[in-house]
Amino acid sequence: MSLEYAKNDWYAVADIFCLRDGPRRTRLLETDITVTGPAEDATVTDDQGNRYPVQLKFDHVWTTLGDSPRPLFDIPEGDEEGRRRVPCGVVRVNCSPLRAVENFLDIAHFPFVHTDILGSEPHTEVSPYKVAIREESDEVWATQVKFFQPQAAKSAGDGIVTDYDYRVPAPTVAVLYKTCPPKPEAQDVIAIFVQPVSETVSDVWPWMALYDDASTFSEMAQFQHEIFVQDRSILENQRPVKLPLDPKMEIPTRADMTSVAYRRWLKKRGAFYGALRDGA
Amino acid sequence: MTAFTLYNYVLSGNCYKIRLMAGILDVKYDTVAVDFYPGFEHRQNHMLALNPAGTLPVMTIGEQVLTDTQAMLAWIALNHDPSGTWYPAADPMLGPLVQQWLAFSGRLTNSAGLAGLHSMLNWPIDGEAARRAAIKDLRELELHLTDRVFEGKTWLVGDHPTIADIACFPYVALSPDAGLDHDGYPAIRNWLYAVRSLPGFVTMPGIHHLHELREGADG
Amino acid sequence: MTTRPVGLTRDLPAGRVMHAQADGKDMVVWRATDGTIAAWDNRCPHRGMALSHGFVRGNRLACLYHGWHYDRSGRCGLIPAHPDLEPPATIHATQYGVVETGGVIWVSADEAPAPDDSDLAPLRSFIVEASEDALRDAQEATSADGAPPAPEASDRVSVLCNPIEPGRTQVTVLTAPGLPLPRLRTLSRWCEAMRRQAEAKETA
Ligand SMILES: N[C@@H](CCC(=O)N[C@@H](CS)C(=O)NCC(=O)O)C(=O)O
Ligand code: FES
Ligand SMILES: [Fe+2]
Repeated sequence: MSLEYAKNDWYAVADIFCLRDGPRRTRLLETDITVTGPAEDATVTDDQGNRYPVQLKFDHVWTTLGDSPRPLFDIPEGDEEGRRRVPCGVVRVNCSPLRAVENFLDIAHFPFVHTDILGSEPHTEVSPYKVAIREESDEVWATQVKFFQPQAAKSAGDGIVTDYDYRVPAPTVAVLYKTCPPKPEAQDVIAIFVQPVSETVSDVWPWMALYDDASTFSEMAQFQHEIFVQDRSILENQRPVKLPLDPKMEIPTRADMTSVAYRRWLKKRGAFYGALRDGA
Repeated sequence: MTAFTLYNYVLSGNCYKIRLMAGILDVKYDTVAVDFYPGFEHRQNHMLALNPAGTLPVMTIGEQVLTDTQAMLAWIALNHDPSGTWYPAADPMLGPLVQQWLAFSGRLTNSAGLAGLHSMLNWPIDGEAARRAAIKDLRELELHLTDRVFEGKTWLVGDHPTIADIACFPYVALSPDAGLDHDGYPAIRNWLYAVRSLPGFVTMPGIHHLHELREGADG
Repeated sequence: MTTRPVGLTRDLPAGRVMHAQADGKDMVVWRATDGTIAAWDNRCPHRGMALSHGFVRGNRLACLYHGWHYDRSGRCGLIPAHPDLEPPATIHATQYGVVETGGVIWVSADEAPAPDDSDLAPLRSFIVEASEDALRDAQEATSADGAPPAPEASDRVSVLCNPIEPGRTQVTVLTAPGLPLPRLRTLSRWCEAMRRQAEAKETA
């Protein structure tokens, strides 16, 4: 049942670079698939020869295994003039796809996991922020999130208080909007698109759309690799591996309001793939 | 004036050896970020012109190019370590022993290092074979470091940390990210901790700060 | 339940943390700056991170993920995201029994009695990818051949097993105290021989 629900979402299964040297053999929701390029005209097939729908969006090839897929969300900022879009490849993590998303929504770990980059002691306090499940779009949003950061972006010099907005448009996707150091009136956009290989294995595609004229592509991508791989060793060491939805199993604080809303939203939707259900 | 230029990729354990040695000896250098992944820039013509082997790191000192990580460590130590302890090249016993563990570190690149690339970036190699080779290497290192514990010593060779410790450190420290935990390797764990405690130590993703040595939120 | 050997006192100095397994439980074993040792369930109550990746500050163990600090009784005393908050007493890590005798760290999930003190000295702690039975056979086989690196009677070798998973055993080897350095090196190589033999048998 949880698998059936998950099949009707869209998932990133390739980016615009990775099909150049040939097809990508991969796994989505425990189904082996082959993604064949070119990215602009990609095909996705399983080993029985079934062909699945494809769309190219946010520099990634998206597919769905379901018969009545929910529409793929949009990130309109991605197309804004002057932004540089940075698909960062894929990183395999042995964790639940939902744990990967929840970690992306969390700021309290910055001083300990992204030390001297996204946070540093003694600036550990998380101030109150706003969380809502937006009815019209059915998305989780956290806004007015603030955190002191020693080096918020590749383009940032000294420490600044960074403003964040977080958004969950689909169970395995998280998008953040944060202070853009060279362009104070705009926000940088960073997302992770999680390809659920299984309930306990995730292929994570980080993606960014930044205002940054000074850095090379490689510098921007490496900044993201550095941050994400710091999270990887955390994600592989959380127990239980699946995300517990029973509120008694883990202890949230005020800083975890986004995570609480995300878990509640998953439950409400019946998005249980990668989750440990109540009493289970 | 910086001492050298490092063609660098943040997730490469071999590049990290250079950043670590330079951090400890407080040597300033420039970096060129190479799109090792997802771009495989190290295999493109302009990088192959610099290093025909198509590997990272590459180090340039003016016109001179170095393409072997262990040679780069030797260069940094010979040129920027006034104490002379990091690379006791001329010592009739310590010099050869350092060479032996530098060579061992090259094996680690092809065992634990490849296992890591396979687990994390889906490198098209036989991951199980790499992991088996890594376990063999970790056990060999544990045996040696246990001898050192019997002798009351901390480092791989002699009484001081050397470039051999730096060369062996990254892929051993990162092996849990490749699915190879440190549970059965107490001597390795304590040696890793000793390296991480060195003044000037820098981290890489997968190797976190020793927060116990830092100023706490609780003072 | 019994008391299981999970490591050597010499391998866990003050201020350090290690992972242990015994009787199907994942544990964190850590030593405070003042030298006292504790064994807990290896799970941070906050978001389930393995506490064995944590760090010791003074006499508290902190979780690597969000830095929650736990005192020796297992009680949470600091949540860095809310530094002025007094954490509720209900937030605490689950404690197990731990004792040290003869240079060996022993744990138990219940209050099983501590093993008798012995006059033997610890040599090594390591993991064998084989069952305890295979290890015992290998111990016998590699001791019997009489040639180095096999132990001699005067070494008084004793082998303790902690079965951690099917086909995976943690082994602690003890010897007579005060053996000379070359003898320790030789017996350490005998440990390797025993492991090779046990694992070869297991896969055969
Ligand atoms: N012998 C070389 C090997 C360095 C090496 O293997 N580097 C890795 C990155 S850590 C690499 O460039 N691999 C190339 C590839 O796998 O494509 C050295 O020690 O410098
Ligand atoms: S999981 Fe341990 S502090 Fe959050
Ligand atoms: Fe993170």
